Parts: sequence; structure tokens; C-alpha cells
Amino acid sequence: MSFAFDNVSKNFGAVVAIREVSLTFEPGRIYSIIGPNGAGKSTLINMAAGSYSVTSGDILLDGRRLTALKKYQISRAGIARTYQNIRLFDHMTALENLEVCLYREQIGHVVAEILLPARSRALKADRTARSMEALRRFGLEAYGEQPATSLPYGSQKLLEIARAIMTQPKVLMLDEPAAGLNMSETAELREKLVAMRSDGLIMIVIEHDMNLVMSISDHIYVLHQGRTLAEGSAADIQSNKDVQEAYLGSAGELDEIKRSVVGRQNRVRIRLDAGVVRHRSRGVSR
Amino acid sequence: MTAFLLQQLVNALTIGAIYALIALGYTMVYGVLQLLNFAHGALFMLGAYVAFYLMASAVGPVGGTIGIIGLTVLYFGTFAIVGALGVGIERVAYKPLRDSSRLAPMLSALGMDIILRNAVQVLVGPQPIAFPPLIDRAPHDVGGVYFNDLNIEIFIGAVLLMVLLHLFVNRTRLGIQVRAVSESRLISQLLGVNIDRAISIIFFIGPGLGAVAGIMYSSYYGVMTFSMGIIMGIKAFTAAILGGIGSIPGAMLGGFILGIIETFGAGFLPLLSGGAIGSEYRDIFAFAILIIVLIFKPAGIFGEAVTEEATVYKRDF
Amino acid sequence: MHDQPIERLATTRSRRLPAAGLASTAVIVLATIAAVPLLETYQIRVINDVLIYALLASALNIVIGYAGLLDLGFVAFFAIGAYSYALLDSPFFGVHLPFIAALALGAAFGAGAGILLGIPVLRLRGDYLAIVTLGFGEIIRILLNNVDALTNGPKGIMRLYTPELFGWTLSTPQDFYFLLLGLVAIVFTLVYRLEKSVLGLAWAAIREDQDAARGIGINTTFAKLCAFSTSASIGGLAGVIFAAYQRFVSPESFTFDVSLLIALIVVAGGIGNLVGVLVGAIILVVLPEALRGYDQYRMLIYGIVLVLIIMARPRGIVPRRYGIEWALRMLGWK
Repeated sequence: MSFAFDNVSKNFGAVVAIREVSLTFEPGRIYSIIGPNGAGKSTLINMAAGSYSVTSGDILLDGRRLTALKKYQISRAGIARTYQNIRLFDHMTALENLEVCLYREQIGHVVAEILLPARSRALKADRTARSMEALRRFGLEAYGEQPATSLPYGSQKLLEIARAIMTQPKVLMLDEPAAGLNMSETAELREKLVAMRSDGLIMIVIEHDMNLVMSISDHIYVLHQGRTLAEGSAADIQSNKDVQEAYLGSAGELDEIKRSVVGRQNRVRIRLDAGVVRHRSRGVSR
Repeated sequence: MTAFLLQQLVNALTIGAIYALIALGYTMVYGVLQLLNFAHGALFMLGAYVAFYLMASAVGPVGGTIGIIGLTVLYFGTFAIVGALGVGIERVAYKPLRDSSRLAPMLSALGMDIILRNAVQVLVGPQPIAFPPLIDRAPHDVGGVYFNDLNIEIFIGAVLLMVLLHLFVNRTRLGIQVRAVSESRLISQLLGVNIDRAISIIFFIGPGLGAVAGIMYSSYYGVMTFSMGIIMGIKAFTAAILGGIGSIPGAMLGGFILGIIETFGAGFLPLLSGGAIGSEYRDIFAFAILIIVLIFKPAGIFGEAVTEEATVYKRDF
Repeated sequence: MHDQPIERLATTRSRRLPAAGLASTAVIVLATIAAVPLLETYQIRVINDVLIYALLASALNIVIGYAGLLDLGFVAFFAIGAYSYALLDSPFFGVHLPFIAALALGAAFGAGAGILLGIPVLRLRGDYLAIVTLGFGEIIRILLNNVDALTNGPKGIMRLYTPELFGWTLSTPQDFYFLLLGLVAIVFTLVYRLEKSVLGLAWAAIREDQDAARGIGINTTFAKLCAFSTSASIGGLAGVIFAAYQRFVSPESFTFDVSLLIALIVVAGGIGNLVGVLVGAIILVVLPEALRGYDQYRMLIYGIVLVLIIMARPRGIVPRRYGIEWALRMLGWK
């Protein structure tokens, strides 16, 4: 199983958002795509999912050109995603948000479902059982009957991931899954993501939370101004001069952070954001 | 053949002018509120009825011609009355729902359409009423092409109003504010533009123009009925979409194009089909155009296509 | 502990129907039958009108309430069904099909028209869809009025044959009363089961966020087409019954106002709620009967009612929680 961006470019009118980017992905691994804001990371996901057209190049899943497919076909081919600004089915219950993913499997039997009570009970039971199990995997079973929009923010994010997984995708793309989460929620997210690793799944995470990125990624791609700047393991990236410059402007600040981290028991949370470094340890902001 | 074509052109420009006027009201309201004002057709119809009763109360039995001065007074008077009604409708039925779902204001507009149409039907009766031509209908014959002062008057009157509108939204401060609100309500608000006032102005001008179109339409065809707004509403929408919904020049252009396609199409249909299909089907032209435009180029001539970015964030409808 | 195995036995074998539910339903059925000799023919006619509109509104509810699409030209499918009966069961062409065939064909023609209209139109945004469907309804009316060779134009088609169903001749309003009651029960059941099926879930998702729905693999065009054609086929079915009931069709009966009235029943009664549809049909059909002398004010009042309801209760009169499930609980089925 393979997934790749092959020399992909994307223009929005005169603005070149993505410049001849080629990325390959292998199953069983967690990939992260990082880069300063505006580097084009979400654009990549949007193109893969079919929301944006591709100006040139191809996106290939098992050799199949996704660019030739309609959005729902892309999903059925095995692509799943979450959104930066949560797009759950707000007024449907958490359970229903997951049940509806089984549409693809069950729509073929819809006539039987309507006409035969026994069949409909069986299908419904199947939907509910599988959805409940997915909820339990993410610790959300208590919210089953509540409207999705009433869940706490962190739980909504998890629910969206649960929904994406429900379609049994080959490629799971998560767009800033940790955005807006506090420390404990992020830790929970980290656990869930690592637990989701599996042989038949490619996981791609777009994130700004470097702790999360560095701790779960098997391979990292760094994007900057629409181009691939660097790639490699967490260690590679951390020591890569180009990356440091793109994010930090100079090598010096990263050293300062490293110095402040050494010897401390508590975690130092670092946000690298468009060239400005902020770090915070135990409530003291620097 | 040339005479036949020129004749069709005369008819096309006349009816096109009327379509342009009514499309303007539709497009302006949509541009500012993203609302399809279903009541617009009813306001068009009301224009004719209000004018009729203005004349009746002023000069007694209605009929014949009233001269240019009388006509101008009638147009402005009707414009003002129906325009005021438009403002009232917006305040009562649309404003409270401005931030609700997209469905609610549409249903409210439908309700207003029902109310207006049936109020007229109840007050006046369901029968069509003869409408005077208002202008001398003696035909002029130029090389086999017949037209009368009515054609000229409608065309010139409509164009004058469109010029006035253009001047207003481009050269006056108030008009520019109205245009700004029509393009982006949020940014206009941030710039300190009085949104409510701009919207009220749009609901004064739009229905006003529609009302004048109603008078022209009825004087041209010699009759008015309470149901004539339904089909005209669809045609107004078609013309507006054709030119790019939300665009004022688009509505003007769209109206004329619609008039041309419809007239020439209906003119040639009997010829092409050997008399099997008559020109009663002219209304279907508008519908066919609508479907074709919406499928192939929904942005119309001057409109903006919905950007890709817009689809990534949740949209109503 | 020891009653557990018995429970499991009971649920894994055939399901046993709740006694309370059976009893209350039996009472209702008997009441509707017993009512017939007690009601005047005029009252039965009113009930028949309510039932026909309930049928139409339950169909439109699929499109507006479940799929979230505003169809303002629903009368077109009603007309197609009615005229198909007029053409297939009248002296006009001299054809006389069995009623069962006419019903099936009416539903089929309706569905076909729904698919034909749906394919180009369902990709449009909601407000555009509303106008286009409105236009379609008007086009059908214009065609009915003008294609004299097929439809006899404004004069309409008369002397439609009395329908016969398995030996039972339906000639009186009472006969149609029973037919309509049975049909409403069947259609409401099927529509409800549709709502609860996986297709109903897909419609809800499309209503909430069409793009996200596509993102989880739902072919939204297909799902919307299903909604459209199902509702259109019920509309066609209702049209056949209407024509057989009136024994006469004319373009007059299929105006834009009828589309509006059906939409009004759905919206005012309670969007997406079958109980609301029934309540809406009852209110909107019976009320004007009470104002018999003020018939011309009827549509006017409807318009005022619509605006008031949209302002005050945009979701309709009957709240969502008082839907079919609540009704089933009240009757003892759950």
C-alpha cells in the first residue's frame, strides 16, 4: 500500500501555495508535516481529500490518481481526514456521527432495511455496536446520546478522529488535532494516536505542538513557503540548521531553550510559530 | 427577413428593459442579504395595481393616455409607495430573521408573497383587469418594422432609471455605502457604515424599480392580474443569475439578454416547428436558460465563482 | 439471576408484540371504522382532504425535513400522478387500466420525474434549488394548460373512471376514506422507517454539513436523488388517488399555491416530524372549513400564519421531541 504526493503544485490565482512538493508515505507509520504558518500544510490535506483542485502533479493512492476522483470517491478509496475547525454533524448525537460512516456498507441493503423489521433491527444493532465500540476506544461512551456540539472541546476533537477512523481508511490525515487542547488533553490525544498505529494505516499529522510531533512521529516532513525544506526523524529535524532558521531565525534561541530545559523535572512546552519562539515552564512564561 | 428580425429586436428591447428593471431589485437584495426575495414578484404586480388606483383616484375612470408628465408623476408616485412598502416588509418580516438559518428568511419571504398576492385578490377580485397603455399606441412604420411610442417610452424610461441607479451607487456617498454593504456587510460595518439604513435603501429602490416594471408590463400587455408576479419572479431571478447575481450591471445586461433570447426564440419557434409549437411557450425559455446557466456557469457573466477555500469551512446550505 | 435466561430466550426467538400497543392500536382502528356511519358525508370529505394533504406533506417532508432541500414545485409530481390517471383511465384516450396498475404507474412516473428533475438540479445551492423547483412546478402547469392534444388544456379531463380495487368499487367518499386511511398508515410507516434507516442518517448528515458528509464517503448526489424521487413517487401516488376521487382533473388544481400549502404544512407542522405533518394537515385543512364563508381569505390567512410561525416558532408548531417515537410510546408500543 502506498500513498504519495507526486510533484504537486497548487496556485490560488497568482499566489503559489505549493511548489512541486513530492512526499511519500508507507503504512504502519506516523508522519508529521510541520512548518511555519502559511507553509501550505493544510492545503496538502485539502488537495488529497478533494476539497482543492491540484494545479499540477498527482496524488496517488496505491497508484490510483486521486485527482481524477470526486470527493466521496476519494473517501471511499481510503482517505480520511479531520478538520482544523471541527466539522462534526453538530445536532446528531455522538453515536450517530459514527453510525453514519457505515452508510457505505449498508446503503446496499436499505430497501430490506425499510421493509423487513428483523433486518432493520440487525443492521441498526450492528451500527450501534460498532459505533459504541469506537466511542469506548476513545473514552467517549458516556457522550453517546448527546448532540455532538454539546461535547467538551477536547472530546469533540477525539470524536472527529473516531469518525475518521470509522470509515476504515488507509490514510488518516489529522489537521492540527492538538489545537486548543490543554496539557492533559494533549497527553490523552498522544496516547490515542499511538494506539491507532497499525500495519494497514498511514497516519499523517499536521501540528504545531512540537512535543507531540517529536514524540510520536516516525518521519517528519518540514514545509516552508510551499516547498519541502527538510525531512527525517525527530532527531534529524531538531538538529537541522535550515529548519531552525525557518522557525527560529537563529540557532541561538534554541540553545537557550535547551539550556532551560536541562535539569528540570517538569516538561517545557514549546510552540514554534512563524519564526517566534515561546516557551513556558511551570507557569512562568518567557 | 430583415424587417422580421428588426421587429423582433424592437420587441426584445422593450421586454428586455422591463426584465432588467425587475432583475435589479432581485439582485440588489440578494447581494446584501443573500436572500431570494420571493415577494419581489408580488411587488412587481403591486406596482401595476397601485398605479391603477392612483390614476383612478386622481382622474376618475381609468383609460387612454396620460402624457409624459402624467406618466413621470405616476412612475415616481408608485415607486415611492411600493418602495415604502418594501422597506416596511424588510423591517417586519426579514430583519428579525437576519441571523437565523438560511431557510427562515426564505420562508418568511414566501409568506409575504402569499399575503401580498392574496390581499390583492381579496380586495380587488381574481379577474384580470384591463390596464391602459398610458401612451399613444399609434404605430410608426419604419421600413416594415412597427413600433409605437409605448416601446420607446418603456425602453427610454427603463434606461433612464438604470442610469440614475448607476449614478447613485457610483457617484453619491450614500450610494457607495449601499454598494459596499452589498459587497460585504461585515467589512462595511467595521468601517462604520449604517447597515440598517443601507438595507432599507436597497429595499426602497429594488421594489420601487420592480413596481415601475410592473406598470410598464401591464401597459404593454394591456392587462394586469394578481398572479402575474409568479412567473416574473422566476424571470427576474433568471436575468439576475445570467448577469451574475449580486451584480447591478449584471442584472441590467441579464435582463436584456433574457429579453432577446426569449423574443427571438418565441418568434422562431412557430417557424421552426411548422406551427406545432406556438409562442405560448415563451415562458419556458426563461426556465431553460436558467437551468443551463446554473448548471454550466452559475456565476453568470459578472459574478464571482465560489472560491475553493469557501468549501473547506462549513457553509449553511 | 435466574430470570436472565428466560429474557434472553424471549428476545432471541420471535419478538413478542407489546400487548398495550396492540390494544390501543386496535381501539384506534375500530374507532376509525365505527366513525363512518356517525359522520356526515361532508365531514368525511374534509377528512379525505386532510389525508391527501397529509400524504403529500409526508412526502415533501422527506425532502425538506430529512434532506434539508427546499422544493417549491412539489405540485408538479402531484399533477403528473393525477394526469397519468386521467390519461390511463378515462374516455379521453379510451384506455382503462386496472386501478392497481394506475397507482403503480402514477408512483413510477412521479419517481421518474423526480429523478429527471433531480439530476441537473440537486447540485445547486439551497436558495437556487428553491427557485428552480418553483420554476419546474410552473412549467408543468403551463404545459398542462397548453398541450391540448395530451391534456385537453384548460378544460381539463372529465368523467374519469371509477376505480376498482380487488372487486371493491370506490365511488363514495366513505370508500376513499378507508383507502386513504390505509395508505396514510402504510406511507407514514415506510417514511418513518426510511428516516430511521442508514439513508435517513445520511440525509441528516447532508443537512448538517454536506461537505463533511462527502468526506466520509457519502455520495450526496445519490442520497439527495433518493430523497427527491421517493417524495416525488409518493406525490404521484397521491395524484392518482386525487384524480380518481374527483373524477376530473384540470390545470387549475395544480397551481403554485398548492406547492406553497404543502410546504406550509411541513414547515408549520414541524419540520422533519411526521406527527407535525399530520397536525399541520389537520389545522391547515380544517381551519378554513370553519371559516367557510371566508373562502377567499384562506390563502391570505395561510400567508399570515406562515410568517407568524416562522417568527415565533421557526421549527414548527409540534416540537421535535413529540414525534413518531413519542406517539409510539404513548400508544404503548415501546
